[in-house]
Amino acid sequence: MPDLRLTIQGGHEAEARLREVLAREGFRIVEGPRPAEEGTLVVEPDGTGHGHGHSARETARRIEELERTVLELRNLDVAKSQFLTNVSHELRTPLTAIVTYGEILRDGMLGEVTPRQREAIESMIGSCRQLLAMIEEILTYARTNAQAISLQPSDFALEEVIRTVYEMNASLIERKSLEFGSALAPGLPRVHADRDKVAHVLGNLIGNAIDFTPDGGRVRVVARRSPTEAGWIEVGVEDTGIGIDPTHHELIFQEFAQVDASRARIHHGTGLGLAIARQFVRLHGGRIWVESGLGEGSRFYFTLPSVDAAAAPGLVHAGAAERPAA
Amino acid sequence: MSGAPAPLVLVVEDSDAIRAAFTILLEESGYAVAAAATGAEAVRLAEARAPDLVLLDLGLPDLPGLDVARRIKAAASTIPIVALTGRDDPADREALLAAGCAAYLVKPVDTQALIRALPGYIASAVV
Repeated sequence: MPDLRLTIQGGHEAEARLREVLAREGFRIVEGPRPAEEGTLVVEPDGTGHGHGHSARETARRIEELERTVLELRNLDVAKSQFLTNVSHELRTPLTAIVTYGEILRDGMLGEVTPRQREAIESMIGSCRQLLAMIEEILTYARTNAQAISLQPSDFALEEVIRTVYEMNASLIERKSLEFGSALAPGLPRVHADRDKVAHVLGNLIGNAIDFTPDGGRVRVVARRSPTEAGWIEVGVEDTGIGIDPTHHELIFQEFAQVDASRARIHHGTGLGLAIARQFVRLHGGRIWVESGLGEGSRFYFTLPSVDAAAAPGLVHAGAAERPAA
Repeated sequence: MSGAPAPLVLVVEDSDAIRAAFTILLEESGYAVAAAATGAEAVRLAEARAPDLVLLDLGLPDLPGLDVARRIKAAASTIPIVALTGRDDPADREALLAAGCAAYLVKPVDTQALIRALPGYIASAVV
């Protein structure tokens, strides 16, 4: 019985549609990744239901049809990703001009400004930078989702990344009078991961912690050896903020999810931060989760391979992602 | 800066609005400005005008930013180039710094910080 290997590539939407077509056409998945994961599916006619009694010729025809569907879906996804990249570029250029002109005006290069004018210009510049950050986030998400991203692992100390992320947020932490600290277990091994991606994950989690913690609260980064997975490090970002109802713990990691619309208005963001964090952690073969309840702060944790985890499954996974970047 | 002629900065940027903004910013900060909207024009002006610094946008319509940087360096290796990009890319950053760029900055740059850093970039050309 001829079996068929199909590569799932191009995000959850393509993957879900492929599984739908397979089921409708009477194919059974012999082996392959779990739903919502990428990889190679091995399928064969299931010999029951809709696909029952196909002749070999009919099977071959259906296989051809499926291959065409896979190709179409893949092309569609590449086109979608390219479109997003172009749109982002077109959005960024005028915003850059607005920010630059704003700073020229603010700094009195075209004539003196009053304090109130200055305040107005500052607010305009701040909003533009916020928009730019959101565009960047959407672009990052689109790229990762289209699998156009590969890991570049190196060995580094977690403290370095924490310091970098802290420095990026220092003015905001000060403005909100937050107490920021880190507590790393003694003798923690170095991390073996893509440093930029880890900084992005920590940046998103710490950014959220700052956003959702009232003035005067506390944000803390913790890290220890994973108690359940040898060679892995468990990193946490803990805050004393408003917390998250347990019924929302899965929802918040999904794309474009914000727990409620009113909060989205106060706390700017695309609703992509945690989805991106989860993508990046999963690319390393790690896990990410939250422990929280309403009014009791939030504690986000994720796992990363340490240098002691050279044979960890995460690195096999990382190798599979070494396709040429689009 | 009184007395000495103003240092010449070549602004390479395809967006009219951004090019005009940088021209105002630089002129108001005491620099003379030459401007190019394409990579080919940038290479031509770098040779013809011998600027003290090039501000090079990487997203030009005709040539990849890295090629423009290399051509300018090939024609006049001492001119410091500050690369400006809309999209931070670690591989691009590495390639441009390896090609001899003095800095790799992500737009929109903090204009005050840029103006503060310019004399340092220009001075680095002597070394």
